[in-house]
Amino acid sequence: MTMTVPLIDTHDLVKNYEIGGETVHAVNHVSLSVERGEFVAIMGASGSGKSTFMNMIGCLDVPTSGTLLLDGIDTKSLDSDQLAEIRNRKIGFVFQQFNLLARTSALDNVAVPLIYSGIGYTDRRQRAQLKLEAMGLGNRLENTPAKLSGGQQQRVAIARALVTDPLMLLADEPTGALDTQTSLDIMGIFQKLNDDGITLVVVTHEPDIAEYAARRIVFRDGKIIEDEPVKSRRRAEHHE
Amino acid sequence: MNSIFASVAGWGVNVAIAFTALRTNLMRSILTTLGVMIGVFSVILAVAVGNGAQVSVTQQIATLGSNMAIVVPQPDSGSGPPRPNDRGRLTERDGQAILRQVSGVRAVAPQIRNSVQLVTPGRSATTQATGATPEYGNISNVNASEGRFLTKSDVGSAARVAVIGQTVSDKLFGGDSPVGQTIRVNRVPFTVVGLLESKGSNLGTDNDDQIVVPITTLRQRLLTTPTQGPDDVTLLFVGFEDEDSLLAGQKEIKRLLRDRYRVQKGKINPFTVRTTTEIAETTSQVTQIFQAVLVAIASISLLVGGIGIMNIMLVSVTERTREIGLRMALGARRSDIRNQFLVEAAVLCIIGGAIGLLLAVLAATIFQKVADFPAPVGIDTALFSIAFSAVIGLLFGGYPAVRASRLSPIEALRSE
Repeated sequence: MTMTVPLIDTHDLVKNYEIGGETVHAVNHVSLSVERGEFVAIMGASGSGKSTFMNMIGCLDVPTSGTLLLDGIDTKSLDSDQLAEIRNRKIGFVFQQFNLLARTSALDNVAVPLIYSGIGYTDRRQRAQLKLEAMGLGNRLENTPAKLSGGQQQRVAIARALVTDPLMLLADEPTGALDTQTSLDIMGIFQKLNDDGITLVVVTHEPDIAEYAARRIVFRDGKIIEDEPVKSRRRAEHHE
Repeated sequence: MNSIFASVAGWGVNVAIAFTALRTNLMRSILTTLGVMIGVFSVILAVAVGNGAQVSVTQQIATLGSNMAIVVPQPDSGSGPPRPNDRGRLTERDGQAILRQVSGVRAVAPQIRNSVQLVTPGRSATTQATGATPEYGNISNVNASEGRFLTKSDVGSAARVAVIGQTVSDKLFGGDSPVGQTIRVNRVPFTVVGLLESKGSNLGTDNDDQIVVPITTLRQRLLTTPTQGPDDVTLLFVGFEDEDSLLAGQKEIKRLLRDRYRVQKGKINPFTVRTTTEIAETTSQVTQIFQAVLVAIASISLLVGGIGIMNIMLVSVTERTREIGLRMALGARRSDIRNQFLVEAAVLCIIGGAIGLLLAVLAATIFQKVADFPAPVGIDTALFSIAFSAVIGLLFGGYPAVRASRLSPIEALRSE
């Protein structure tokens, strides 16, 4: 097994926005490599470009210039269908507001990505159930989001992100809508997933949340101003 | 094989998503469906009524008889209004001349038509009397289902005999057999010698509401308005051997009658010769126009229904922009998003179409019973209407669906 190709590899990545005739350099020539199995926290104030950067490595947004290689694939040459396939197969997203479909059971929510992988109904439900059980939600399969707590909803969202067995999880402020204890639970889940080999990139503005990661990157004005290992890394209790 | 299953499963998922979305906004969905429902309902009903008219007309033509020319003493003014100065005449001698001189003529049946009053003990009726000869039966397929039709000797002796229609028989004799009974026609006693074969009714005209008497008897005893000559007729039926001789014969009849009435060059004919073929063509053109107008009007309501679909789908796409962004983030391709909204629009339309179809069948059945007018809704119309409403859905759902699929994933995700 060769580990020479970084999972995420950016060179001079740029994203500009035109706002009121002025060009805003949201991401300004960022070069960064993330290897398989890393747990990266991206920090920065709002407007620092961390979310824009995250959206680009998640293939949700297209860079203005520069190159982005995901698992060795140059994303510039991909059309919208191929980008959709990368989002489906290689990336799992976790959002601040969970983004679950209302009036849809936890099981069906988790199964959504598998629809777009062309997996049949029975298979979809089986695989979704396994992921939910792994998140400790085996008894909540048929509950709709409205019947679940914030922490439970975020665990459903994590199960959904994992259901296609992606290479990496991209989480944008995953604890932003949760209380302290629940936030720690979620970071514990992330640490366990990372221990099991999955690559994690978490955007957060909370320093103590970032301490659960292994590597900390700080953005300011669209550039990386800090990139170093977390010195005193925190470990959360694992839920078994 | 796998990809076929996957795509089938994908459509199933889209139908499931569509139903969830439509249930979420139930009232809105019902109102939108209503538009399509009314549209499909009116289109199907229009087609059914048009078909019914067509059927009626075809039956009507069939009851006239085929390969026949009808000559009436009305000026042939073409498309213009009739001119009073050119009042025409037509006589039995004209008929005999046609039979002798025009080639391909099988028989000529002169007729006089007149309204008459019928009385039996205790009952009375008003109907139309046709004074005819035995050839009338021969040319226009008029036969007696009971008793007999007119004979040569009836005509020769101006016998007071009548062959009556089913409706007249029902009015005067109830369920009893009329043959052998006596009726007074304009106070003159007649013996009923036969019952006419029923020809039903078309477009509100009852073909069984008439009696047939010898032309001589009618002229001598029943005529209420004076005629210009001793052998004037209301019209002539000219039966031809076949369709070819009919076409040539129409011209020959015109030429012959122009000679007989000394019509000068450039003057219009004081008579009109129409053929059953022409009548069939004209009436079928008329009913086709009638049907086209009906369908066109009905289609407007379907169009309005379709615009309703488009409108509501645009609202739906706007409301669910965030869901679209999420689905894209989870791996939905543009085509997946497009298909999701297309299926949603198609489901709305197919449901509306199906209900509209049911209501149209119901209305057509009631119409048929109440108005005694055929309005057939065929299985082809049914299938067509369902397919057509699905097409409406795809057509009017297409723009919103494509718009949804063109959204940028990140902008869609960010929207509130």
